[in-house]
Amino acid sequence: MTISDETLMAYADGELDAAERAAVESAMREDPQIEARVAAHRTLRRKVQSAYSAELSEDVPERLLAAARGVESTRSKVVNLWDARAAMERGGSRARPLRPQWRTAGTIAASLIAGVGLGFFMWGHSEPPLMRSAGGALVARGQLAQALSNQLAAEQSHTSPVQIGVSFRAKSGDYCRTFALSGAVSPSGLACRHGGEWQIQSLTQEPGTAGDSGYRTAGSTISEAILQSVERQIAGEPLDQAGERAARQRSWAAVDR
Amino acid sequence: MNTREMSQSIHEQIVTLLPRLRRFARNLTRNPHDADDVVQIAVERALTRLDQWRSGARLDSWMFKIVRNAWIDELRSRGRRGKVFLAAEAGENIGTDSMARETELLSVQSAMARLPEDQREAVSLVLVEGLPYREAAEVLDVPIGTLTSRLARGREALQALLGTEGEGT
Repeated sequence: MTISDETLMAYADGELDAAERAAVESAMREDPQIEARVAAHRTLRRKVQSAYSAELSEDVPERLLAAARGVESTRSKVVNLWDARAAMERGGSRARPLRPQWRTAGTIAASLIAGVGLGFFMWGHSEPPLMRSAGGALVARGQLAQALSNQLAAEQSHTSPVQIGVSFRAKSGDYCRTFALSGAVSPSGLACRHGGEWQIQSLTQEPGTAGDSGYRTAGSTISEAILQSVERQIAGEPLDQAGERAARQRSWAAVDR
Repeated sequence: MNTREMSQSIHEQIVTLLPRLRRFARNLTRNPHDADDVVQIAVERALTRLDQWRSGARLDSWMFKIVRNAWIDELRSRGRRGKVFLAAEAGENIGTDSMARETELLSVQSAMARLPEDQREAVSLVLVEGLPYREAAEVLDVPIGTLTSRLARGREALQALLGTEGEGT
């Protein structure tokens, strides 16, 4: 009986079922060469394992620990726009320039404010503004407003600079949608349709995962912080594709409760 | 379990996984600095995508996959910018105790660094990280037969490099 080397390897790795194991063991008893091949697989496995075991006891850099725990401190930092605007007025200054490098949890709060202040990073420079202040609320403009009104999550292109996430009806009766934007820090947010405008309810940004280029495409996922805003406001379940389409059909006009 | 409790425990579970994620990333990138950067990217990504973690799935496998995808993305973006990356002979800066032991460890790690990428990934996940074949295949997004053949070829190459053929009886 011949047994393939892959089978012997799988035996040495404990991947065979009882019947296959029995076959290998019987072959090993009969043929010392087979036994030697299994032993060689086991030796190699042990050798590789022990060569890498020391790495497990190395100290993990602080920045990685912070990243793993980071959301604990960033999660609550959904920007409340009123607070953010108040802070900007108090400070009277434009926020500090973005650091595309690793950002620790402590600087995230500052850069969140920066996000609002800079009119959304790169967007502010070359594109028409995506938001403006109107009657005490921040409302979507330009490409963001268009995407919120027209783009269906199921049909959007991955390359679209605005990615729509979840759409739902809020407890207020308004329709709301989460979105993410391309940019240095891939800001994401929640907008609700009210009074014929998309009012921005909250904004946040992912902790800096920008590469050297400092630019990320809009993610299809939304941050946990935004998801929690959604959880607080949502009435029932998110809209499915048909629900999204129907809501668009009626121009996202609020539903009577 | 509500969302908060779930993500709370996931944070701590990820902290626990960090040493293994770094080790896997080093095997992928063959450069400890790249490895830590990739792990950081992966951890941050994972935390924004907890909703994509199928409950019941192994967290380590899921995280290994995100680490690997982060590295693939990084290589792509380096490729686009036309940068040359990494020296192939990394992995030689891990300290050890005795000379004899050091010699052996270095030989395993430099042998690993010489493996083709697909074999190195398979060996790393199964032999170093101890994943079952099925989990490793899932991380690499390949059928299990592909995983086992890469693993078999990787092992064969390692044995040839380390000269352990027939040893260990």
